[in-house]
Amino acid sequence: MVIGFKDALKFIGISVVVVCAAFVCTLFLNYDLDIRGLTNIPDEAIPLYKAHLSMGKAIAGISGCGLALTSVVLLVFYLKNYIDAHGKELGILKAMGYSRFSVARRFWIFGLSVLSGALIGFGVAYLYMPTFYRVQNADGILPKIAVGFHFELLLCLVVLPTLVFAGLAVLYAFYKLKAPVLNLLRESQENTIKARREKEGPFLKGLRLATLKSKKLLVFLIAFSAFCFSSMVQMSLSMPDLASETFAWMILMIGLILAFMTLLMSLSSVVKGNAKTIAMMRIFGYGYGVCSDRILGAYRPFAYVGFAVGTVYQFILLKLMLGLFFSDVNVPAYTFDWKALLIALFAFVVMYEFILFLYAQKIKKLSLKSVMGE
Amino acid sequence: MIVAKEIRKFYGNGENRQEVLKGIDLTVSDREFVVILGASGSGKSTLLNILSGLERADSGSILYDETDITGFSDSELTKFRKKQVGFIFQQYYLLPHLTVEKNVRMGADLAGNANFAEVIEAVGLSGKSKNYPCELSGGEQQRVAIARALAKDPKVLFCDEPTGALDEVTGRQILDYLSKVQKNSGITVIMVTHNQNIADMADTVVKLNSGRVVEVRKNDKRKTAYEIGW
Repeated sequence: MVIGFKDALKFIGISVVVVCAAFVCTLFLNYDLDIRGLTNIPDEAIPLYKAHLSMGKAIAGISGCGLALTSVVLLVFYLKNYIDAHGKELGILKAMGYSRFSVARRFWIFGLSVLSGALIGFGVAYLYMPTFYRVQNADGILPKIAVGFHFELLLCLVVLPTLVFAGLAVLYAFYKLKAPVLNLLRESQENTIKARREKEGPFLKGLRLATLKSKKLLVFLIAFSAFCFSSMVQMSLSMPDLASETFAWMILMIGLILAFMTLLMSLSSVVKGNAKTIAMMRIFGYGYGVCSDRILGAYRPFAYVGFAVGTVYQFILLKLMLGLFFSDVNVPAYTFDWKALLIALFAFVVMYEFILFLYAQKIKKLSLKSVMGE
Repeated sequence: MIVAKEIRKFYGNGENRQEVLKGIDLTVSDREFVVILGASGSGKSTLLNILSGLERADSGSILYDETDITGFSDSELTKFRKKQVGFIFQQYYLLPHLTVEKNVRMGADLAGNANFAEVIEAVGLSGKSKNYPCELSGGEQQRVAIARALAKDPKVLFCDEPTGALDEVTGRQILDYLSKVQKNSGITVIMVTHNQNIADMADTVVKLNSGRVVEVRKNDKRKTAYEIGW
């Protein structure tokens, strides 16, 4: 069998995003379901009660949908990379007479990455729930809220996503495997044929553009990782004034995990996908610095655009949430937090440039012989 | 002049350690066409990689006009390759997402050669400079690889089985072009092949067997690509 459990392990990036999605959704939806069952709410607590009801659904909806969409994008990205990297094996199977479906159905195994992530996120959310409930009602305005287990959440947040993602993986593989056998055997030539005609210009400029155009999804992922970092870090820094410190930490951790995972995986993919180009440049006499600048550095502007969009997004989101859900509750007025922006920007520059430096070292260690021998 | 002295190379560790090159001595004069001949596993590609600075020898020295490159750091080797050598491989290794022109400029820009269009024309591909490698035949792709190598004005051109993936007609065309370029521009060509017929085109033939030079032969007269057998 071409596809095994080891291959599913490579999809750990999806698992991590799903952990975050399942954690946030389980936490807030469970809270939402539990506070719905509250009775005898004092009149003075009703605005807060309503705010909590709306907030739970909004946060679960916004972050859950966002993370679910990210997972779908990541899944398609990894499946495409997997099929490109294993085109030869898949082509041989097709050439031998295996039907498209008989090969594609084995891709269900990638649903396991979602299952493992969802189970972990779901479990951790239940472990954290007592603390979360206590913090949410720290002032004791609402009656005591007991943590309840809701089977429908297990179904909707663990079982269903697993089945959907496994099905999606099979369908996507089925679609991609419609390529003729020879195209699969000759590596992904389809992309190059579809590429737009280049303008005249120096090689290095052309290389930078071609690198970006060849994997547009990577541009999105790198910008997305910066977006996550920017929005979540700034939100968490503004949170203690607006909500609880625990909530701020939670947002910060999710933001950092998402940002790091997406960035590391995207850059790994950049280096891996361009290994032959880098090797060829090195053979011809281009220095390490030029190689890493042209290949890795091509994505830098998009990372900073992602950071800027994240800044605007978190400001609008906090403003809207406070305006819509907490207008009747006594919380401080929210203005743009310049201090949070500066701290987040500084941390991002340090993190991003350090990771780029690490990957530049990885490029340095690429063995020319092994790359050319592949 | 290139002088290789007592080149040794090992692969693997412990019990699996194998000596691939067992003390190679070799001298290549300027403007010479040298063919390194040997069966698969004889160490010919390893020798080519070491001579060109792509790989390091475990012992021995390689002198380019009395400069020993074996002690070079990685960045010095990069500069050396940039200024001195060009490469042509059996599998072409063109950059698939770049057009013919951009692939050739990869070499030309390094040398500051603005006449890359002339090189493309010289290999007969001026009409296809905007095409991508996958839109070309094997022979055309190899011609792009040759143009890319020549566009950087190398002093030494290293060719690793350049016709290995080509049919006879295309293979002869490529060899004919390489031979003419070598004669006209006066660059040194070191070509690795397992095809004994190609050896007749060279000034010097170095025969390798199991990591040792077993024969060095000078051809009185070089045959053309259309005179050799296939």
